[in-house]
Amino acid sequence: MKFLCVPCDTPMKLQTVGPPERGSLSVVYSCPECGYEIAMLTNQFETQMVQSLGVRIGPAEAAATPGGSLAETASKAGPKCPFAAMVPATDSPAATAGLSDAAQGELIAVRWTSAAEARLANIPEFVRPMARTGIEKFARDRGAAEVDESLLDAAREFFGM
Amino acid sequence: MKSYHDIVGDGGSKVLEQVAEQRTRIAAGLAGVRHLVAIGSGKGGVGKSTLTLHLAGALRARGLRIAILDADFNGPSQARMAGVQGAPFVPGSHKVSLPRTSNGIGVFSMGSVIPESESLEFESASQGESHTWRATREFALLSEILGSFEWGELDLLLFDLPPGAERTVQYADFLGSRTSFVLVTIPSEVSRGVVARSVAALSKGPNRLLGYVENMSGYYCRDCKTVRPLFASSESTLPIPCLGTVPFDPELARHCDQGLSLGELPDSPVGRALDDVARRLLDGLDEEPPR
Repeated sequence: MKFLCVPCDTPMKLQTVGPPERGSLSVVYSCPECGYEIAMLTNQFETQMVQSLGVRIGPAEAAATPGGSLAETASKAGPKCPFAAMVPATDSPAATAGLSDAAQGELIAVRWTSAAEARLANIPEFVRPMARTGIEKFARDRGAAEVDESLLDAAREFFGM
Repeated sequence: MKSYHDIVGDGGSKVLEQVAEQRTRIAAGLAGVRHLVAIGSGKGGVGKSTLTLHLAGALRARGLRIAILDADFNGPSQARMAGVQGAPFVPGSHKVSLPRTSNGIGVFSMGSVIPESESLEFESASQGESHTWRATREFALLSEILGSFEWGELDLLLFDLPPGAERTVQYADFLGSRTSFVLVTIPSEVSRGVVARSVAALSKGPNRLLGYVENMSGYYCRDCKTVRPLFASSESTLPIPCLGTVPFDPELARHCDQGLSLGELPDSPVGRALDDVARRLLDGLDEEPPR
């Protein structure tokens, strides 16, 4: 979808994407010539269409503007990954493999180094909880209190990757 | 006044750009994969997933580098059958590593992510409309998986497709002409009829149809060491090559439930049948596609 400022015959530019409200997005465009602004208010089907494609509306630089991009809005409201909500927030098979209910309740906290966290942040959000808990279990099984890059490499080796 | 096509770019929504980037990322991720092969049917319950896993085992036994993508997101079974249900996905430097079976087959399955007591959730911006978007979301999820995991250098990437003739065609459309298809049937008229519809539908597109496998063509009795019939013999044929017939083996079914690899199965008629299918599949892939 493109917007044209008819008096200026100039393509309008996306400025901000407002937070989703009851399935509707507010996307503001302005004319770079005359500064005239319009808002595109999507209905729930239009919003869903974009979400279903697994994309976000708006450039990264739009996040710096007052309304912010959809990506920024989503990060404030919850997960960025469009598929994160498809995966129920329960422990994955990898996280709980071989653990009794009691044992699951007595897990010792495992720290993550910033480098290991950065690697985790690179992967899609819908697999991140499973990866985090599975790797923490791998660490605990080895008596490690911290997940660092060498432990991630050891996990890759162990699981045959 | 300017028209749509007079305007370069989209004013900043970047939606088309993101879809194009996603496609480029997938193509780059699959560049090291020699053959993409989808195992489908159209009919449910014919043993596509079991056959996919054991065919992968037979191909692996020939020294090939194999991975499976369990594309049945709503009814994933490969994680359990392949014995990788307890293996987490580990982040690499940029992409996610695939867990591997004991005999070295890489496996992606939503069964690794979602416990069997849970289901994939298709939320919708408007209540009661998730059915409208399900297919779009599934294929966007498939895009994300193809673009985010390390497929690396492979001889074959096998896609274990969900049931449904229309789904088979949708996957052919999505995966593109690089992907060849193998269809699975059982020796019943009903199954062959449904698979024949899939053949007809796929024949309209550019994908190669390598052939079909007749699964459960009898059962292997370990007591008398013979293959006995499960279904009455069928007169109908399918208009694509038969890559082989594979008998049902209760021992194989037990191995699937326990996540044991084919490599741990003793030599059996089923093992030999799968090896024959693997050989014919490779012969078909090596042949020049008909023009």
